[in-house]
Amino acid sequence: MLEVRDLTLRFGAITAFEDVSFEVAEGELLAVIGPNGAGKSSLFNVLSRVYQPQSGSVLLAGKDLLARRPRDLAACGVARSFQNLGLVAELTCLDNVLIGRDHLMRCGALRCGLGLARGEEREHREAALRALATVGARDLAERVVGTLPYGDRKRVELARCVAMEPKLMLLDEPVAGMASEERSAMTDLVRRLNRDEGLTILLVEHDMGMVMRVAERVLVLDFGRPIATGTPAEVQGDERVIRAYLGEELAVGA
Amino acid sequence: MRRLTLPALAVLAVALPFALSAAQLTTATFVVIAAIGATGLNVLTGFAGQISLGHAAFLGVGAYTGAVLGADHGVDALLWIPAAGVAAGLLGALLGPIALRLRGLYLAIVTLGLVFIAQHVFFNATGLTGGPQGRAFPAVQFGSFDFSPGKVLRLGAATIDSSGLYYFLALILLAAATAFTWNLRRSRSGRAMVALRERETAAAVMGVDVGRLKVTAFVVSSFLAGISGALYGSYLSFAQPGQWSLLMSIQFIAAIIVGGLGTTAGPLLGCAVVFALPSLLKELPFLPEAGSGGLSASDLTSISYGVLIVAFLTLQPRGIVGIADRLHRSGGNDDHAKTQKVTVTTPKEAHS
Amino acid sequence: MTEFLQLLFQGVSLGATYALVALGFVVIFRSSGVINFAQGAMLLAGAYTISWLATDVGVPFLPAVLMAVALLALAGAAFQHSVLRRVSGEPTFVLVMITIGAGIAVTALIEALFGADQRLLGDPWGSSSFGVGDVTINWVKLWGIGVTVAALAAYFAFDKYSRWGLAMQATAEDEEATLSLGVPVSRVHLVTWALAGALAVLGGLFLAGFPNSPQPTLGDAALRAFPAIVLGGLRSPTGAVVGGLVIGETEVMTSGYAPAALGDNFYAVAPYIAMILILLVRPYGLFGRAPAERL
Repeated sequence: MLEVRDLTLRFGAITAFEDVSFEVAEGELLAVIGPNGAGKSSLFNVLSRVYQPQSGSVLLAGKDLLARRPRDLAACGVARSFQNLGLVAELTCLDNVLIGRDHLMRCGALRCGLGLARGEEREHREAALRALATVGARDLAERVVGTLPYGDRKRVELARCVAMEPKLMLLDEPVAGMASEERSAMTDLVRRLNRDEGLTILLVEHDMGMVMRVAERVLVLDFGRPIATGTPAEVQGDERVIRAYLGEELAVGA
Repeated sequence: MRRLTLPALAVLAVALPFALSAAQLTTATFVVIAAIGATGLNVLTGFAGQISLGHAAFLGVGAYTGAVLGADHGVDALLWIPAAGVAAGLLGALLGPIALRLRGLYLAIVTLGLVFIAQHVFFNATGLTGGPQGRAFPAVQFGSFDFSPGKVLRLGAATIDSSGLYYFLALILLAAATAFTWNLRRSRSGRAMVALRERETAAAVMGVDVGRLKVTAFVVSSFLAGISGALYGSYLSFAQPGQWSLLMSIQFIAAIIVGGLGTTAGPLLGCAVVFALPSLLKELPFLPEAGSGGLSASDLTSISYGVLIVAFLTLQPRGIVGIADRLHRSGGNDDHAKTQKVTVTTPKEAHS
Repeated sequence: MTEFLQLLFQGVSLGATYALVALGFVVIFRSSGVINFAQGAMLLAGAYTISWLATDVGVPFLPAVLMAVALLALAGAAFQHSVLRRVSGEPTFVLVMITIGAGIAVTALIEALFGADQRLLGDPWGSSSFGVGDVTINWVKLWGIGVTVAALAAYFAFDKYSRWGLAMQATAEDEEATLSLGVPVSRVHLVTWALAGALAVLGGLFLAGFPNSPQPTLGDAALRAFPAIVLGGLRSPTGAVVGGLVIGETEVMTSGYAPAALGDNFYAVAPYIAMILILLVRPYGLFGRAPAERL
């Protein structure tokens, strides 16, 4: 589904990441982990076409993704969640999820203003409500996002991604900032989306516990360079990974 | 309670002309005509968050289109009123390629340029606009019935004079424009515009066609401005190019801010304040006659616009609607007001 | 040829003035992200203050300029402290509108206080000039260029070598972080606006010099500095200078050479047209970059 080869991103003299290569097969969940500053978010921003890499290639279902602009992503089947949450605080959860459906909607401003798009609107509302139900937030539909706690907002953000009917989901630290109960719930949710709904997911995350439970394979970045790939268990025991996270001394005992 | 205010407002609006003096009715008519244009700007700036200093240019284009078609070619108002909107809308669409690529301040300054360029064209296209001397604008005419001064319409016991005719025509068009934008706000376009306003790049990544949306917002805004301008010129019956100025653009911006950005009642309320202000200030006893030096009414007006804009944005970004909301809520649930982190926006549940 | 050189010189002089205006704007934007649409009004206020002090109050010229600088610096700082500080978290749009509103109010206030007629600036140069070949060099314009160069040099040095310059940049990047490092951020803002006020006075002084004079329409002339600001890319002092020169030359050259078919006073809109054309090719101005997004 997603093939990344030798991707390099630099900001002037600073290298965000270098020679990153990996593949995500259809239906797989690949997690990208690494200490802070390892380049994970920048990687996502390249995949979201907000940044242009200096070199490398990205193929999505065989087609060149780097030739695309941010606005083409939804049509290509890519849905990305945002660390800062792409939600509009003043709108309701349902409205926010409906923004995710925008690329599937056809009615122009004229028809909308004349009130001629009610049928289409209803159909998409149903889909949006289903997406909210999938993340267990159906009852929050009419609540204004700005009044909700952070954990709920993250779930709504996820619902928005699901509502986009994507082929590939890019999840940017889905459990960051959550309390432990919320983390479990979110972890289960992500797992369900991958195992039961069959969604291909590329995940960036700090929380090793979460990663262990949902990922089939893990890619570890450190200072912008890939240092290990493999199953969660393999990676957890990898000396280089331990060294990257915990430092030289502790690695000796591994 | 909200559901009651709309019918109440409608009744008030219809009854108003019969309660006002001739001079007051004139002001009220200008207010309603302006509100049509303000409704458009509210879509562009209130919904979609695009700053435009160029609104006066679209009003001018609409006005001159109406004049050329209506007066120079004897076209019926049934045609030149919409034509004015279309002409202005086309100009708005032309702004498209520029608006697509620019953000925030860059776009604002381009629209500033637009006002000056448009005025330059108006001053120089003497055949169409009369040049610096100005030109006459046609009265609204539907078939053989026209709105010129002196004409009256008798409906049963009521007598409606020329001013009243303009008032009701503008009111009908305002109601239509408001219904349109109300629908817009609650539909796909409206949501997308709010996403554009709040998180432009994220919105694009989410699949919103940000570029097309900006153009759409400009077209809707300029279409309504064109109609407003055409009615304005017609009601004034004479105008010269200097009127379609930066100050006019700023009046409209002040109106939608004071009324409440992105709200439904905001445009009309704001116009009531902004466009009635000059007449109100003229009444003030301590002001000297115009031209005798010292503080004139027009200076005071400008100062007031500036102060109003600053004051509302600093203290109450949701404008008059926001103030009304606060008063309404001050007996009840304050938590909602506190937890909302929103600033210049409209609450979902306010059907105002 | 003479005419060309004459216009060239005048373009540089006008460009220098626009550069001063643009620089004042960039100073504020770089350190606080505030887009100051009131810069033109501040210019007007600067010119009028000097005129009032020099002609009405009878203060000698140089002290009048210095006093005007002080007064405007104070006014700018007061505005920042009483209004802008309260709204610092609001979206761009709000800040822009506030400065627009303040600009309108100030412009109208000036007209109310001083009337719509021209005034004497009270400068020592007046219309005096000297000739270089057939080209007339007005002293006031030459001084304008000189002062601009000096102001720019001072600003560049300040920005690069002083602690305040660094503090201003840090504040613009991340106010909270800077605050947590112990930098007196509120003082930085005051200094920023004071600096902008000072630059506005200088800009106003030369914009109101021969053959102009302090009058309310100067405000419109000051607005033409905005294309210069945009061309320069909003954040770059170098850009402000280049932008100013480009716009100044454009305006003067079109006033001299524009065909009649383009209408009277085409030079007044030429800066905007030039700006739009350049923006179509470079959406962030000549020196600007797309701002880094944090998604």
